[in-house]
Formats: sequence, C-alpha cells, structure tokens
Amino acid sequence: MNTDERYDAVVVGAGIAGALIAKYLTRAGFRVLVLEAGPATAQSFDGYSKHLEHFYAATGKGPESAWPPDANAPQPDTGDLKNNNGYFVQKGPNLYGSSYSRLQGGSTLHWLGVSLRMLPEDFALRTRYGVGRDWPLTYKELEPYYRKAEHEIGVAADVADQTYHGHYFPEGYDYPMQRVPLSYSDQKLAEAVDGLQVIVGNAQVSLKIRSYPAARNSTPRGSYVPVGAFDVRSDGEVIDMNLGQRCAGNTSCTPICPIQAKYNAGKTLAQADRSKLKLLAQAVVSKININKVSGAVESITYQRYYGAQHTVHEAKGRVYVLAAHAVENAKLMLASDLSTSSGLVGKTLMDHPALYAWGLAPQPIGAYRGPLSTAGLEELRAGPFRAKHAAFRFDIGNDGWRATTGAPDTAVAEAVTKQNLFGKKLYDQLASTLPRHVRFSLAVEQLPDTFNSVSIDRDMVDQLGNPKPVIQYRIDDYTQAGMAAARKVALEMFRRAGIEDCSNAMEGTWFPSIKVGDDVFHYHGMGHFAGTHAMGSSKSDSVVDTKQRSWDHQNLYLVGSGSFPTMGTSNPTLTLSALTICTAEHLIGELTAGF
Amino acid sequence: MNKRLEPFLELSGVLTGFSRLQLLGTAMANEYLRTLDAVLPSGVLDEMLARYKQIPQGTDREDAVAAAILGDPKLGPVARNLILLWYCGSWTALPDAWHTAYGASPTNTNGVVSAQAYQAGLQWALIGAHPPGSSQQGFGSWSVPPEKGSL
Repeated sequence: MNTDERYDAVVVGAGIAGALIAKYLTRAGFRVLVLEAGPATAQSFDGYSKHLEHFYAATGKGPESAWPPDANAPQPDTGDLKNNNGYFVQKGPNLYGSSYSRLQGGSTLHWLGVSLRMLPEDFALRTRYGVGRDWPLTYKELEPYYRKAEHEIGVAADVADQTYHGHYFPEGYDYPMQRVPLSYSDQKLAEAVDGLQVIVGNAQVSLKIRSYPAARNSTPRGSYVPVGAFDVRSDGEVIDMNLGQRCAGNTSCTPICPIQAKYNAGKTLAQADRSKLKLLAQAVVSKININKVSGAVESITYQRYYGAQHTVHEAKGRVYVLAAHAVENAKLMLASDLSTSSGLVGKTLMDHPALYAWGLAPQPIGAYRGPLSTAGLEELRAGPFRAKHAAFRFDIGNDGWRATTGAPDTAVAEAVTKQNLFGKKLYDQLASTLPRHVRFSLAVEQLPDTFNSVSIDRDMVDQLGNPKPVIQYRIDDYTQAGMAAARKVALEMFRRAGIEDCSNAMEGTWFPSIKVGDDVFHYHGMGHFAGTHAMGSSKSDSVVDTKQRSWDHQNLYLVGSGSFPTMGTSNPTLTLSALTICTAEHLIGELTAGF
Repeated sequence: MNKRLEPFLELSGVLTGFSRLQLLGTAMANEYLRTLDAVLPSGVLDEMLARYKQIPQGTDREDAVAAAILGDPKLGPVARNLILLWYCGSWTALPDAWHTAYGASPTNTNGVVSAQAYQAGLQWALIGAHPPGSSQQGFGSWSVPPEKGSL
C-alpha cells in the first residue's frame, strides 16, 4: 500500500459538492486532493463530445444514455428497474426509481438544471404542520448562501417571478441572469389555466404557470459573465471554448447539453486553483480509517483502477470531506463500520416520486423544442394541507411525450405499423398531432421515514469488492395522498385548457407502480436522493451538524443532499450547493485556525 | 453513380411524403441503402426497387405502391421499416416469421442506425423541431410558434 503526501483536505467525489469544496479551499490557499470514483472522460472538450456522439447513437435515450459507467465504479440505471437487476439491490416493497452517475462532474452532467430554493416553511415542517422534522437551520440563515450558490452555478430567473410562499430576497438582489424565455407552450397553457381555482385540502388555490430558476445560461445581469463550455487539457490548462454562453434550445438538458450552456460541476472544478488541486479520477474510496480512541479520521483507503487492474493507496489530510453522493456517502460510512450515535447513517432516504400526466392540446403548442422545461406550477408546494398530505410541484415539459411514451418515434411507429399510414397521409397526421403533445411531471414530496434506507450486505459486492447499495423503500400514505391530489389538479388543468388526457400508463413507457385504493399510480424517480446523513441539532437524532460535520468524527464532513432533514418539493441541487458553500467557508476558518 | 439511388429516392418519397430534394438533403440515402443491404437477406432490396420500377407511367404512385409493395407480405414489412428508418433513423427488427419465410439475417435488431441517422430523422423537421441534442434552434426560438416543415 502506498501512502500519498498529506493534504489540507481530502475530498471524496468530484460532483458539484466536491467541486465547490475544491474551488473554495484551493482558492483560499489550501492543498486539496479530490478522489473521483469514475473516469474523467467529460473533462476535455473532445471527451465531452464523445459522450454526445454516444448519446446520438444510443438506442435508449434515458438520463444515463450519454454516460456509460466504468465497471469498476458501477452506478444505478433506470433501465435496470424493470428487472431489478442493476447496481442497486432493491428490497422493496416499492422500487426506488432514481439514478445517479459516477464520473468526474457527477450527475450534474445530466441534471435538468432546476434551481429552486426551498421555501421558508420547508425548514420547519414539524413546527408548522406536525409532520417530518425541522431543520436546524432557517431559510433566513441559509439565504446568503443561496445567493452565493446562484452565482456559483449561474442561475437564470427573475426575482419578480419567485416571491411566492414567503420566499424573500434582500432588497436590490436579482439572479445573475434573466429568466430563460418561457416556451410557446408555457404561454399558451398560462393563457388557458392562470387563475383557475382548485380546492386542495380545505383551501381554494388560484393557479399560475410560472418560470422557474434554471442553471442555464441566459441574458446576464450587470457584470455577470455566463460560463460556457470549457476544455481542460492533459497538462491542466483550461481553455474557454467560447461556446454555450446562452442556452440555444437543444431540448437535451437531460441527458447531455451539447454546448454546456447548462451548468455542470466540471465548470467549478475548472475554476479551482489548479496549483493547489490534485484531482485523481478512477480512484474509488473503499474505507475510512478511524483512530479508535479519538474517533478522528486518520486516513482513507482508495483503489486506483486501470481496466481490470487496480492498486491500493492511502491518503491523509487534516480534514476529510465525503461528497460522493447521498447513497455513496452512506455506503462508505457503513462499509467502514462507522455506525454513529444516532444510528441514522443510510436512513431516511427520500426522493420525489413523480407521476406523468400527458395529453393532446387543442391546437399546436410547438412541442419538442426548447429546454426540456421552462415553467412549473409552484402554488401547491405550500399550504395547511401539508398536515395531511404531501405537497407537490409540476414541471411543464417542452419535450412532448418523449419521456412518457417514447414519442415521436413511437407515434411514427404506431401510425406506420398499426394504422398503415404512409406518404402524405402519414406526414399530415404527424404534423397535426405531434406539435400538440403536452407533458406534466407531478413531483411529490416524501417525508423522512427510517424504513427507507441504504444499507450494505457484505455478500453483495461489485468487481472491486466494494458493497453495492441495498435499498429498502416504501411510498407511504402521506405521499400517496399527495399523488392523488396532484393527479386531480393536473386533470383539472387539462379540462380547463381543453387538453385531451392521454395518460394511459399501459400505453406509455414502463415505470414502477403502486396501488392506492382502486388506483394504480405509475411513478418515476426524480434523481432527488436525500436524507441519508441528515443534519440536526444533536448527535442523538442526526448524523451531521449545521456545518455538515460528523457529530462522532470531528475532522469528517459529509456534504450533499444526504444532509437534508427534509426536502420539501424543490430540486435539491441548489440547496445542497448553498449548504456546501457554507461548509467550505467554515472549513477555511477551521483550517486557518489550525485544525 | 449508384443505379439504385434514383428508384430508392423515388420510392422513399412516396413512402415518406417528403420530396426527393428533402430526402437528398439529409445526406442519408446511400447509408440507408447500405443499411438495407446489410440487414436484409440477399436480393430483397433489389426486388423491392424492381417492383417499384414496374409501376406504369401515369398511374397514381401512392395507390400503386400501396398495392404492389405495402400490400405484399414480403416487401410490405420492409417498406414500412424503410419509412421508420427515414423518420427516426432507427431499424425495427422484422418479425421472426418474416425471416423464417424469406431468409435469416443476423443483424436484424432494434436500434439507432448511427449517430448521423439519429440526427437526420425526418420526424423532427416535419414539426419545426429538431433532434434533441443536435441542430439547435437558437436562444429563445422556443418562445415563438413553431414553423411548419422547416426542412
């Protein structure tokens, strides 16, 4: 075993959280080692372009289609769900529907870019509604970090659209870029449904189609310069590609933005002080080694692989930061036998199980163009009904029925092989139907439930001998009732807009299902993993404190959405970025003081 | 010049509803001929093109193709697959029964033919859209009504 030189910080994972830690610490003058389990194939522009070619030629075009894993660092794939034979060992009773990627840049390489803040009330769910648990932080405390995160990742939005449900911003603040233009379909839908009154719980709510904040380059405000595509050469030189400073409507945020107008963590890594950064890809951390007396981390063990060969190494730092992903962080803690005082490592796994609703608009709305979505329905993310059932938000698609049925390909195949259309009749039928395709994703909140968990089984290992995550997951009554309420609202919107409901799951793409009363809901994961090392105010009921420091191991930090006590209805990336920046600033203070 | 190209383009035009010029504009015709040669048992493509060339001058092309090719148990499934190839850039495996009757093919599997074929799919241009990840339409283009058939 080789021991590397000693660093100020050893960071596990080169996704968004690890990249932010690396950027902040190196720029403050500290020496940082980042160990990334996956390959660094997206770091050069040529390499990134090869991923794009891979996507073009892929038959399935799901979230993972541009990003095939290395067998030494396997990852979950939604394509494995149906047969439950993938990287996740799923114990049920319900299937956990989400995936993530293990490669340099992490899952931000294929995220949608939605950068919503959590709502002020999301931080106090227990106090307000008697469910879930409170955060040890308030919106007010996190608010300055939200602003920093919005600048780090480059978020486009107008504050004027975002002041709902008690959201507040300091006087004079606005996002670094103007909102991404609403799609034509958003505008047509808004004309039809804005002001529609629906009853949820006992309250009447007026609906509004609203632009959401997105990490996609748009028209900058003030002196902000949008960060586009980059090329990190083999000698470490970073070249600005003069590409991607504006979203160009590739309709492919997921799985790959060809011009990198959408944020990915490679941009933040490229902004680190490279003279202070050592970045090792294909380096799988297998164990955290602890001093049995003090509980402090003494080193971590990692495996560097080259094809079928690998070597074992040890790295030492003054502090250690696990930024490997909510599941991978928990897995690594458990594989290192680091049970904690609370016993909560790996517990309270959450997601936003989501339903699709799809239909046919009465006139063309220009489907299949623009960023995958540009607007949402945010009105039902808050309200007294949260005492009884889950909150939810809708994502309003610009990509027709691609996700729900596989159209337009499946629509062409249906017309040709089932209806025997060809020539002008085929052309006319497709021209008159495809541009009318409407899709909503109804993402539903899920509360922390200790049953829902990541664990390990020493008999279930990958080819490097590292344990595979064992997932136990159920969707409880609270979330099921939220699904039913969400579906009802979607159908009311369809009726008001004259959209013919076509949401027949039997004719759509296969997704996991759950029976609720007489209904069967087909749901998909949103990729929103959270809760596996939740923060809290005491070591008896949480894994980390508000700085994401382990209660039991003073020089160990677990960062990312695993630290969320609850998730509300916002996509987690912006919040985890805000938390990570808070941790990075704290670490600079600690390291300066002489950790 | 490939002698099969003209009848192939003409037949493809009748099948897809796109003009010869639009099909040529994809730059995919020769690749699709090669695709068909590779996936079909020997002689089937030439038989389909010969059948097309036999259609007498002056007859309605659509009616004639429907009767002589799409209605034929051997050529019909191939012609429908050719439509999907032009529209989606992917091949759809012919049923086992077809191969039992007309000859085996080891390459008859579902899938995108190539990165170029995916990007050339006619289905996108038909609705004023574009293949995801390619042929970007420009900042804000999505906020105005779609153009029709912008091939």
